[in-house]
Amino acid sequence: MLHFVFKRIAMAVPTLLIMAVTVFVLIRLIPGDPAALMLGDLATPASLADLRERLGLDQSLPVQFGIWFGNVLRGDFGISITSSQPVLPLVLDRFWISARVVLIAVLLASLFAVPAGMIAAWRQNSGTDLFLVGTATLLYSIPTFWLGLLLLLLFGLELNWLPVVGYVSFSEDPRAALLYIVMPVMTLFLHEMGVLIRMSRASTLEVLRLDYITHARAKGLSETAVLWRHAFKNAFGPTWTLIGLVLGNLLGGIAVVETVFTIPGLGRLLVDAIFARDYPVIQGCLLFVAFVYVAVNLVVDLLYPVFDPRVTAE
Amino acid sequence: MKRLSLNVVLGGAIIGIVIAGAVLGAVWTPYDPLKINFVARLAPPGAAHWLGTDEFGRDVLSRLMAAAATSMLISLSTVAAAGLLGTAVGLVSGYARGWTDRILMAFNDALLAFPAILLALGLLTVAGANSSGIIVALGLAYTPSVARIVRGTVLSLREREFVEASRVMGNSEFYTVLRHILPNCVGPMTVLATSMFGWVLLAESALSFLGLGVPPPAPTWGNMLAGSRPFIAQAVWLGIFPGLCISLTLLGINLLGDALRDRLDPRMRGAS
Amino acid sequence: MTRFLAALLGMALAAGAATASAQSITVALNADIRSTNPGVNRDDNTDAVVLHMVEGLVGYRANGSVAPLLAESVERSDDGKTYSFRLRQGVTFHNGAPLTSADVLWSWNRYMDPKTDWRCRSDFDGRNGLKVEKVEAPDDRTVTMTLDHASALFLDALARTDCGGTAILHKDSLKPDGSWDKPVGTGPFRFGEWRRGEYVTVSRFDGYQSPPGDKPDGMVGAKRTALASVKFLVVPDASTAKAALASGAVDVAQVLETDVPELNKTKTVEAGFFPSTTKHTFLFQTRDPLLGNVKLRQAIAASLDIPQLVAAVSNGEGKPNNSGVPVTSAYYDAVQAKGYAYDPAKAKALLKEAGYKGEPIKIIANKRVHVPSFNAAVIAQAMMQAVGINAQIEVLEWVTQLDRYNTGNYQMMSFSYSGRLDPALSYEQFSGPKDSQPRKVWDDPAVQDLITKASTISDEAQRQAVFDELHKRQMEATPLIIFSNGQEAWAHTKRVQGADPWEGKARVWGARVVGN
Repeated sequence: MLHFVFKRIAMAVPTLLIMAVTVFVLIRLIPGDPAALMLGDLATPASLADLRERLGLDQSLPVQFGIWFGNVLRGDFGISITSSQPVLPLVLDRFWISARVVLIAVLLASLFAVPAGMIAAWRQNSGTDLFLVGTATLLYSIPTFWLGLLLLLLFGLELNWLPVVGYVSFSEDPRAALLYIVMPVMTLFLHEMGVLIRMSRASTLEVLRLDYITHARAKGLSETAVLWRHAFKNAFGPTWTLIGLVLGNLLGGIAVVETVFTIPGLGRLLVDAIFARDYPVIQGCLLFVAFVYVAVNLVVDLLYPVFDPRVTAE
Repeated sequence: MKRLSLNVVLGGAIIGIVIAGAVLGAVWTPYDPLKINFVARLAPPGAAHWLGTDEFGRDVLSRLMAAAATSMLISLSTVAAAGLLGTAVGLVSGYARGWTDRILMAFNDALLAFPAILLALGLLTVAGANSSGIIVALGLAYTPSVARIVRGTVLSLREREFVEASRVMGNSEFYTVLRHILPNCVGPMTVLATSMFGWVLLAESALSFLGLGVPPPAPTWGNMLAGSRPFIAQAVWLGIFPGLCISLTLLGINLLGDALRDRLDPRMRGAS
Repeated sequence: MTRFLAALLGMALAAGAATASAQSITVALNADIRSTNPGVNRDDNTDAVVLHMVEGLVGYRANGSVAPLLAESVERSDDGKTYSFRLRQGVTFHNGAPLTSADVLWSWNRYMDPKTDWRCRSDFDGRNGLKVEKVEAPDDRTVTMTLDHASALFLDALARTDCGGTAILHKDSLKPDGSWDKPVGTGPFRFGEWRRGEYVTVSRFDGYQSPPGDKPDGMVGAKRTALASVKFLVVPDASTAKAALASGAVDVAQVLETDVPELNKTKTVEAGFFPSTTKHTFLFQTRDPLLGNVKLRQAIAASLDIPQLVAAVSNGEGKPNNSGVPVTSAYYDAVQAKGYAYDPAKAKALLKEAGYKGEPIKIIANKRVHVPSFNAAVIAQAMMQAVGINAQIEVLEWVTQLDRYNTGNYQMMSFSYSGRLDPALSYEQFSGPKDSQPRKVWDDPAVQDLITKASTISDEAQRQAVFDELHKRQMEATPLIIFSNGQEAWAHTKRVQGADPWEGKARVWGARVVGN
């Protein structure tokens, strides 16, 4: 088991390393100078040179990379060009805001979608199946940014039940925070329901077709026993992997939902940093997302044997 | 199978309408999609403008049609680009194996570890926010998924008898790949390309929505939706119709994709 | 926004408004400030907040002229090279220390130290032409500054808001290690707390000594405040700010032009437009093979119905202005008011003379909020197309557009210049040699001489004559089309009076809470 963990972590290292280089080079290729942006139309050649020197942008790219990467290894992700805040606390702060929305939504969606998918698979081609799959495909086809806009129109502007946009932190006012978080969570919840019902149904169907299910049925076990003891238990493993994938992907896709509801999360931070050419923040965000993605998949893989008795970690 | 035919009929009908609208939109629209008309600013749907007008008095229906043409063209080109590049990488990697494979796949996996939309976001700012930039950015962003699937197919095929036979018969590696391996990748590739078409359409809209896609005034569904936000309370139709177009198209693609998967991927037959 | 929503937002955002005493207000900032260090790491929001706490020797009046602020009087020697500042009596810093000439010297030396990173250092060390050669303190209340040559713009440069007004700070503003701590200045408010990304608070400085005047006038005039405290709340999204105004969670905020009519319909909010010296323009690249032709540029100018364009981008509130002299300036009069005339027939004739054959002309624009760049470009495109000009729009990210601006790589661009109060500085923004400064649009040595003259002489009548001449030449050469100055939409709740912004920045020392 420990060996497996180390092997997986070792495998992630080159991935993260390549990503660090890719991220660094990629964003340096983006046209636009953060120093010029900060000075705007007031820039003079002298003030521009001063600022570029202060931000360390006058150094050659390999030198800049060396400094940055060395610092990253020591846990120092640099300082934001625009807000002069240290990047790591900034990224973590914003990450918790995003993570709260994503985790609640995915947790709720899994609770409903996984059983629904299993039921659909069990009753394959029945009316129930058709209804569940139809609904799921529909939900999955509506982009989150439009779904969010629709919810906003309905609950925010038409019915006036919920605040339209903005964000309140839980430490400030828990009740208001809850109200503000409802619509973003609902948006992601509905969308992920669509995704997860389809996934859970597919993995259950695959299990149901396996020989040992036929065997169990032939043994004369009751249908309930077959389903609970054999099918669902084994179908949950692959679904669990997929939930991990969904979590990772959501971190990438959350920017649009955060834009709709103006939540100051990680996605918004990244998009704003790209607009501002805030190199340290872009680098920090992308590297952090990649790291989380790798970490989530690692955790999922490690927990896989818990859910799927066929697989052992060794 | 009953569901399969329902998928095909419904999906086909939706995609048919969208393609027809896009083709028509490329040659003719009721109004010039860029024509400003201050008198008809934010006019609700009615006889003159079936789907209303936007904040510059431009006809929404005309803009939706023009946008359909743009989106279809971008999505098709992107899928083609990612498909070609990904297949090439996958074939080389899967067939050459060894260090070539290891290095290519290390890069591939690193890129896969980024959510595609983030990778596209970065690439797009490099390539420039315009139609060709989007094709390059999204094409590159989705190449790793294609490469991975093609490589997998190649690896499973290369040990099969007919490939062995071709090699034994003295055919060149290149010929073997082209003649025996590539055709067998077509099935999984078609399934992937269909889903990818949907992803690309979605990604393009999302990027436009974030203000990084096809720049206005040229319409796309995504930037129309983004542009509607300040007026959403006064002019609901501006937010409804572009979103409806995106959702319906995605629905059509997903339905067709499901049907196609059922037919082409025997392992998944019956699954959604 | 209905009451229910308002109530919800109120609960959410109004913690400050509900608990603080009556004489406290909340001002929305559309982005967090960058620092509290005057003129170092700044943007408009930063300047707005910081200038509530610190003051320089001189400051701007609303009409763009410069008046003494911490100084009681400013005297210039006959050769125009030596300025003598007499400090006001009884001024103290927030920490109680009296203001002396030593503090001025200390502050100046700190600004001129490269380590401080003061953004305006190059405007005073000779790199941009002007050099302060000597700064001395003959006595406790007098400071003299000696320049390398006479300049009409020296005091303007000191007053510039983006330089932090060259604020005089107390040593306690720095930590023992010399790094920045917090502003200990002489302003009407003292620094409270800055929670990054959330808010900045300031509270009334009871020992404040106001410059003379009975009401606020730019950065000078009556500045003693009735407010006990102000919370600058970061509200990045315009629609959130709008909702917060309606609920009373925010008292003062910049809003979208398009939201003004809707806001004025609510009972508790008053919205309006406030002029600034920002210049909204279309720039031409006069070295472009096509647009190098003055006839073509004039044709474009004649094709634009500027009053309609301005009305469309400012919700009918803006005032057209084609001159480099801002409408609010003391130098703006009948000559400046005479601008381009909308004349499609003349435009077509000029096009013919120019030999224009339908070549595409690309207008670069961006989609920043509170700037009319994109909307103006769309309308100009339609107007240009109406006379047969093949105008196209390319929307770029702002940073990319800035790059193209700085390198001069464009044909035409919808661009906004930040405010310059003195007309000479305003003309200087877009005039100069393209060889050494590619961002300049008007490259004409004769014009350069005129601007230099306006920068050196101080006689108002003589300066007026120069600005009149510049305007006529600009109308003729049309290196750019200025279409209006800024018209910024701001709103405030009716419980607050006198919180008018100035130059696009919140300025609330004159505000009072009149109701609840």
